[in-house]
Amino acid sequence: MYAVLHPPNFFAQAAAHQRPELRKRPFALLDGEPPAEIVVAANKAARALGVEAGMTRLQAESFPEVVALSRKLKDEASAQMILHTIVCLFSPRIEYVEKYPGTYALDIEGMNRLYGDAEQLATKLRQSTMAAGFLANVAIAENFHAAVCLALGRTGVSVALPGCEAEAMRDLPLRVLSLEPQHEEIFQSWGIRTCGELAALAETDLIARIGQTGKKLHSLARGEWPHLMFPIEPSFEEGLIERMELDHPVEILEPLLFLLARMTDALLERVKLKARAIASLRVVLNVDGDKLHERIVRPALPLQDRPTLLKLLQLDLETHPPSAAILGLELHAQSAAPYRAQHGLFLPQAPEPGRLEITLARLRKLVGEQRVGSPELTDDHRPNAFRMIPFAPPPPARSEKQSLSVPTALRVSRPPQAVGVVLTGNAPAQVFWEGQKYIVREIAGPWRVSGQWWSEANWCREEWDVRLGTETAERVCRIAFDPSSRCWYVQGTYD
Amino acid sequence: MPASAALRLQIETTLAIRVPAALTLKIKQAPELFATGISEVDAVLGGGIPRGSITELSGTASTGKTSFGLSAIAAITRSGAACAWVDVSDALSPESAAAAGVELKRLLWLRTSAERKERVTDKSWSRLEQALKATDLLLQAGGFAAVVLDMSDVLPQHTMRIPLATWYRFRLAAEQARTALIFLTQAPCAGSCAALVLRSEPTCIQPFSSHGETPLFERQPYMLVRERNRNEGSPFLQKKPSVRAEWHAETLWSRVR
Repeated sequence: MYAVLHPPNFFAQAAAHQRPELRKRPFALLDGEPPAEIVVAANKAARALGVEAGMTRLQAESFPEVVALSRKLKDEASAQMILHTIVCLFSPRIEYVEKYPGTYALDIEGMNRLYGDAEQLATKLRQSTMAAGFLANVAIAENFHAAVCLALGRTGVSVALPGCEAEAMRDLPLRVLSLEPQHEEIFQSWGIRTCGELAALAETDLIARIGQTGKKLHSLARGEWPHLMFPIEPSFEEGLIERMELDHPVEILEPLLFLLARMTDALLERVKLKARAIASLRVVLNVDGDKLHERIVRPALPLQDRPTLLKLLQLDLETHPPSAAILGLELHAQSAAPYRAQHGLFLPQAPEPGRLEITLARLRKLVGEQRVGSPELTDDHRPNAFRMIPFAPPPPARSEKQSLSVPTALRVSRPPQAVGVVLTGNAPAQVFWEGQKYIVREIAGPWRVSGQWWSEANWCREEWDVRLGTETAERVCRIAFDPSSRCWYVQGTYD
Repeated sequence: MPASAALRLQIETTLAIRVPAALTLKIKQAPELFATGISEVDAVLGGGIPRGSITELSGTASTGKTSFGLSAIAAITRSGAACAWVDVSDALSPESAAAAGVELKRLLWLRTSAERKERVTDKSWSRLEQALKATDLLLQAGGFAAVVLDMSDVLPQHTMRIPLATWYRFRLAAEQARTALIFLTQAPCAGSCAALVLRSEPTCIQPFSSHGETPLFERQPYMLVRERNRNEGSPFLQKKPSVRAEWHAETLWSRVR
């Protein structure tokens, strides 16, 4: 059994609900871009004066007593929220009928124990709606579309007994079937005004004349057109939140981890029921002084593993501890389909994603956030320009690329070390580095490089490749002269 | 059955739960090897560096340790496996790594630092301690085909202070994780824990080329001495004599020429 709640002229009712002073006066609601606004709704008093939907602002304003108002979507949303709350009290399975604004269909199967028989339920539903400040029609029928048509066509409460839908709809005008203009015209020319008259026609003859639409209209008029209900369900993702207020402020993280473990457990249970995994966890800590401390933990792959998630949370909070004592905490989760992959038996070794994530978090805690990852060369003229990106090795695959020859590696001095240099002519002859005197045995250069001359970060230097030697050792280095600071630096050592 | 064999069987059966096959010689399988990408060195090493063991390469500056390390890592990443480079002095040049053919996405680079702005732990770690701890974590995590612990710029007196127990632990962890652990040091420090000990030596100097108007640093010859290779043990000769391999590396710009 379905109950349908339909507030007629919903837009006008929503506007009047927010401004009760309008109830006594004729008003029209206008929508659209100024100056091309048109009337979308008008209350009964305004319609009695001659205001119709589709009129322009100028036409509407030609009625001196009619108040022209702009349509406010916010008012309509709040009105709909009120209606939604009311219908939720009467049934857990509700569907919003999008075709008619403000209209809800309720599956009332089994609700008779709470609200009495169908008629009593309809009356109570209507009374609740009116108590909230809305006029509404309520219709009950076994067929969904029959209930909608009855709610649209009859004022007040109407109940169609099972099997008597056609009888109940007999006197309803054809407009409740929301006909297309051409069909409306055809039925008018045939002299058919009500659903009963349409239902009395022979189905095959109707289909022969207006096509397959005829079958649907005929079934609708008889109250037999089937409907598959899609009840509104609360969003699963939005519900993945756990909140907790603490009695006493907590300053150390360890006791907090017990609470986080419990909350993660609760979230994981909910997520697992839907055969999903946790893709990210957002911890919002309400710290002393009305501040929020927010951290997001995003494992490389969606996880269903509690210890891994907890460890990641712990390491992240230890690396970024809150600034003050914690008063409350929230844990938001985001779900995703769990990761399942079957790798080949003969593929090379690769770190296991879950363990790797924890290892990386530990390493970040140990050496610093920006010091763990893979290097990526940047598109820059500056020698040795790179940036760190998170380590995420691609799936194991053999590369056919062959290297040309073994290159001499440069060990970069970060930051460049300042050295003393004795020049002969313009070329270095001796280098004093870390208290040691080196003779320049061989030299190549200078290679003049510069870049970013258009900005503050401009750089310019003369680079030399030198073979430095003492009595005992020898090393090949790259030294550079920086004209802006007039200093010599060791860029690195070839090794 | 002779009495000795019966006695042996009895002892083995008694100890079976605690020490399986206590008195039977364990057949040692030849280790899997990773080619280093340098044919001269591979020929001396019998195929490459061993997997699941420690390889130690020591030598002074500019003797080709880093070039050797990068070449080995490049060959391993090209095979599709992931590697890690624990950089004690933050000296790795990504440009050199890319030029050596390392697939940078498969390389985890850990740059230890002494001047950390944000102190997150109560205890401040020195660079070497950080690196040892990081290597430990990487070996425990497993999945890395090779881990390079680059201590080339650490003075020998500091590396000598690392307790031997650390190297024993690393050896066991590397064996379990089937990881080739490569140490680059100035002086040997892992002692008997290293299965393969190499020494890089200064070699004859090749002068900078002077084909053009100015001299150009084009190539550098290196010498590698194999001190010990535990996997090559023979029952007749306990210690094999050192074997030398000479190889050379080119600078990037000489490729263009």
